[in-house]
Amino acid sequence: MKHRIIALLLGAAVLAAPVLAQTSQLPAPSPLEKELAARASNVTEVTLGKNMLGFASKFMDGKDKDQATAKQLIDGLDGIYVRSYEFDKEGEYSPEQAEQLRKYFETGEWTPMVHEHSRKSGENSDVMVKMVNGENRGILVFETEPKELTIVLILGPIHMSDLGKLKGIAGLGDLGDIEKNSDGKEKKDKKDGAQ
Amino acid sequence: MKGLWLISLFVLALLLPIVVLAGGQGGFDGVVNSIESKYHARATKIPFLGVISLISRKATGGGVSNLHVATFEHFSGPVDGDELNRMVEEKLGQGWERIIRETRKKGNEQTVIFMRSEGEKMGLFVVDLDGQELDVVEVSVSPDHLNESLKHYSHSREDDSKDESD
Repeated sequence: MKHRIIALLLGAAVLAAPVLAQTSQLPAPSPLEKELAARASNVTEVTLGKNMLGFASKFMDGKDKDQATAKQLIDGLDGIYVRSYEFDKEGEYSPEQAEQLRKYFETGEWTPMVHEHSRKSGENSDVMVKMVNGENRGILVFETEPKELTIVLILGPIHMSDLGKLKGIAGLGDLGDIEKNSDGKEKKDKKDGAQ
Repeated sequence: MKGLWLISLFVLALLLPIVVLAGGQGGFDGVVNSIESKYHARATKIPFLGVISLISRKATGGGVSNLHVATFEHFSGPVDGDELNRMVEEKLGQGWERIIRETRKKGNEQTVIFMRSEGEKMGLFVVDLDGQELDVVEVSVSPDHLNESLKHYSHSREDDSKDESD
């Protein structure tokens, strides 16, 4: 009897594994974030889990073409996590801290897609994608500037070209710029010369 | 036996205010009371808020309900964003998730927005500090009903502008 229960439990676990693998959860905030938030003059933090995204999408008009596309996109997402820290002066965070933070989010499942470095302005941009069974299951954007540090993590089936569609959600207005940056066609005004 | 009951009631009556003062109260009132005691400020009462909440509920077909508002004017003193966030989180209790936090100008502007699922509705809790004014708002929103009301409103506005152009 005991063996049968164990076998049933193992069977259930095997069956549940692919389902669990398809939905991923947002990571817990990094311990470094508190320290950065305390030093930064401007802090923006957005954390939207699947449930909250579901509610947010209900506010979108399914009959409007643009909103319907965004709604469809949001419904499929597992989570959005944004952290943006702006500092008054340079040197408020060290390159080691930035690297530590990047490693916290960049686990083995992320594949680097874009790496941009400007020696002149000291700006770095990294874009990584999460591939599961050949499908894109997330985007991680990590940007550092001498006085700014930004992390955007979006979990779920999403492509860079979709980022602009999310900018209607509070606090995610800059996503449209990230999309443009990844194309290499247009840069943010403040990033002149960072190409 | 009757004396024993009376003593128990008396002790209970004495303990109750202590529990409340110790911060046992949660939700909207708990957050407002905590802000009042922490920052030595007093919230301005908005008259007839219950009536306003009822009207908004009727007007939006249940789209907006459970409206609570507290305003602190001439709010002085520095506010630590982390501390404010923690205080709100503790008082709101389980079920609420912080979705947005914004801090600007080294603490002079703070915004924290919490959200929770309330069945078909969505609970929103906002604490917003802008210079010397701090607002605390709690509201329950039904996306479906609110969308209907908004559509109705936008249709009538479109009709009005058509009439004007004719």
